[in-house]
Amino acid sequence: MATSAALALPPAAPPARPRVLLVGTALAVAGTLMAFAGLIGVYLSQRHDALTQGGAWLPDGTNIPLTPGSIGMATMALSAVTIWWAVDAVGRNDRPSAYLALGLTIMFGLAVINSTTFLYTQMGLAVNTRTGLLVYTVTGAHLAMIVAGLVFAAVMTFRTLGGEYHGRDREGLVAAALFWYATIAVYAVIWYAIYITK
Amino acid sequence: MAVTETPPETVATVSATVTSSTPPQPSGLAAVLGSGDHKVIGRLYIATSLLLGALVVGLGEAFAIEGIAPKTLDIFGSDSVFQLFTLARVGTLFFLALPLTIGVALVVVPLQVGARSVAFPRAAAASYWGWLLGSGLLIASYAMNGGPFGGSSEGVNLWIAAMGLLVASVLVAAVALATTVIALRPAGLYLARVPLFAWSVLIAALMWILTLPVLFGLIVLMYVDHRHGAGTYIGAPTALYPSIQWIFRNPQVYVVAIPVLGFLGDVLHTVSGARMKLRSVAQAAIAAFGLLSFGAFLVAPSAAALDSYLVVGMGLLAIVPLLALAAACADVFRAGSFKLRAGVLYATAAFLILLLSVAAGAIGSIPDLLDAPTGGALGDNIFFLGVGHAAMLAAVIAGIGGIHWWATKIGRQPANEKLGLLAPLVLLLGAALTVIPDLVAGVTGDEFQRNADWTGGYAGTNGAVAAGIALVGLGVLIAVVSFLPLLKRGDDVPADPWDGLTLEWLTVSPPPLANFADDLPVVTSAEPLIDQREET
Repeated sequence: MATSAALALPPAAPPARPRVLLVGTALAVAGTLMAFAGLIGVYLSQRHDALTQGGAWLPDGTNIPLTPGSIGMATMALSAVTIWWAVDAVGRNDRPSAYLALGLTIMFGLAVINSTTFLYTQMGLAVNTRTGLLVYTVTGAHLAMIVAGLVFAAVMTFRTLGGEYHGRDREGLVAAALFWYATIAVYAVIWYAIYITK
Repeated sequence: MAVTETPPETVATVSATVTSSTPPQPSGLAAVLGSGDHKVIGRLYIATSLLLGALVVGLGEAFAIEGIAPKTLDIFGSDSVFQLFTLARVGTLFFLALPLTIGVALVVVPLQVGARSVAFPRAAAASYWGWLLGSGLLIASYAMNGGPFGGSSEGVNLWIAAMGLLVASVLVAAVALATTVIALRPAGLYLARVPLFAWSVLIAALMWILTLPVLFGLIVLMYVDHRHGAGTYIGAPTALYPSIQWIFRNPQVYVVAIPVLGFLGDVLHTVSGARMKLRSVAQAAIAAFGLLSFGAFLVAPSAAALDSYLVVGMGLLAIVPLLALAAACADVFRAGSFKLRAGVLYATAAFLILLLSVAAGAIGSIPDLLDAPTGGALGDNIFFLGVGHAAMLAAVIAGIGGIHWWATKIGRQPANEKLGLLAPLVLLLGAALTVIPDLVAGVTGDEFQRNADWTGGYAGTNGAVAAGIALVGLGVLIAVVSFLPLLKRGDDVPADPWDGLTLEWLTVSPPPLANFADDLPVVTSAEPLIDQREET
């Protein structure tokens, strides 16, 4: 290159806003997944021990019907679409769609809580049995996760639409969506490990 | 051809906004109770953990003294001996080792990574108050005849809830610390350039986040079983301690000691005054040690699980990162010079005790070397009591050393250097005397016995353990006395008493509310202060 002039690089791009909330949420999600991994691991281990010793895992007179759990799984899958829709709508500053998507997500979450509590009434499983203890603890903890995820998503949507984040900067809602996807993933494991395999 | 880079203007704009809009610092009680300043929260963690640590050390000393002559010295009643034993173990980890480490990290890590605050400052404050409340409730549960082996149902419930609060609080602090290192670094301070202490805290926090939730899940299970279920499975008072025992044995117990490695690396690097050529080796060693300390899979382990290839392999391999880090630290002195500082002694003492723990853990991992625990025992060979104590003591020594090393950032003046040279030697001797007799007793087949008297270890060697714990207490006392200058306001407190290399030494001592008065320069190496000296 035949030039002796000093070349200056163009100004660096403005630094991205530190994605503190997203990083913190990702870490919290990792911790939450580990908590469920431990609980479900204990459930499967106890179930395996009971079956290998020739006993039954479900006490006599109890049953875990598959229908409510499967409907819950389908509902959670739908909520994966609606939470993605909410994130996308906020990115386009499309308020009506964002509110609608958030409302649907909350409705789906409440529906899963409803189907799970209905399932509780159908199982006839007492908490003072080892099976009941583990089933209620794992699924109850997941209900708490659903509530936390819904509150997180609602707060972040309102804060985003209220102006704290704007347009493409939607870190808060992306963080809430990440937590919600983890909630769906945990439900999928519970659905298979508890509701299907019983 | 000259190439220049125009720094982003927005950095200056944002920083100027932050510094110019800094509100006045609150004073009095409001400055403590309502503060979200990471330095205040860290100081609270440090002071409270040292206070609660006195209880733990005193309890450990009482057990060792009873062990000298268990038949004649009846310090603990037969109905409380096992409860208080669990208090000593849980307390060592959750009252002393973990919160002391968190306290030092909360003060130092944001400064090291050039952050104006810790991430989620209100959550960090909540973690302290939650931890304090959990600690108080845990002690209250024992006072109510609760806890493991306790006779009061309400006391057992309270113990489980307090444990949950303690674990949750530690997790919140871990998220805040890890996020600070990941997301709040200034321009140019890539993860590969992060100071080794901050790097080790990141690794430790990640390991806490990946393992302690498993404990939290078990605690939820315990609570549901004991409070609402039959209380015959994991929530039974006799099942509580065995269910959490995995956090006190290797490899899991090593997670509390990961910052020891970063402290050693940082201190030796700083006193050498030279750039660390094997820095990537040091970082990889710390990360590898973190991975090898993952022990959550040992929840309710069986004897077969403990002899698995995974556990044996992890136990044997864990020593390699320590040796690699030692080599990387030694290499830095080829270019630099050695200066004896109290921080060097603290770091070396902590590292040696951790090395003892990991080497013993490696030996203990060899199948069939140690007797399997019998049904009547508390569930483990006394050998692993020594391994766990060594790891936790290493963390405590490093934590105290961290207070000394970063005294001008944590307190108002430097610590007393002469006493600081004495304290780590006393702590090293005390820790070795505390740990080695248990290791010897374990190798020769001794176990905990669930008798009315405390019979852990041999009566003869328990005299050495008692002397060791007394020396640990003395060492902590000497260190605390050496810290008294930290409480006094001083003039001309040096910003950088050690000719430091990293960003925390750039700010005044004690640091202001937003940590740095001016905008930080763009970081161009792992030793930004060497760069600065070379430029001037």
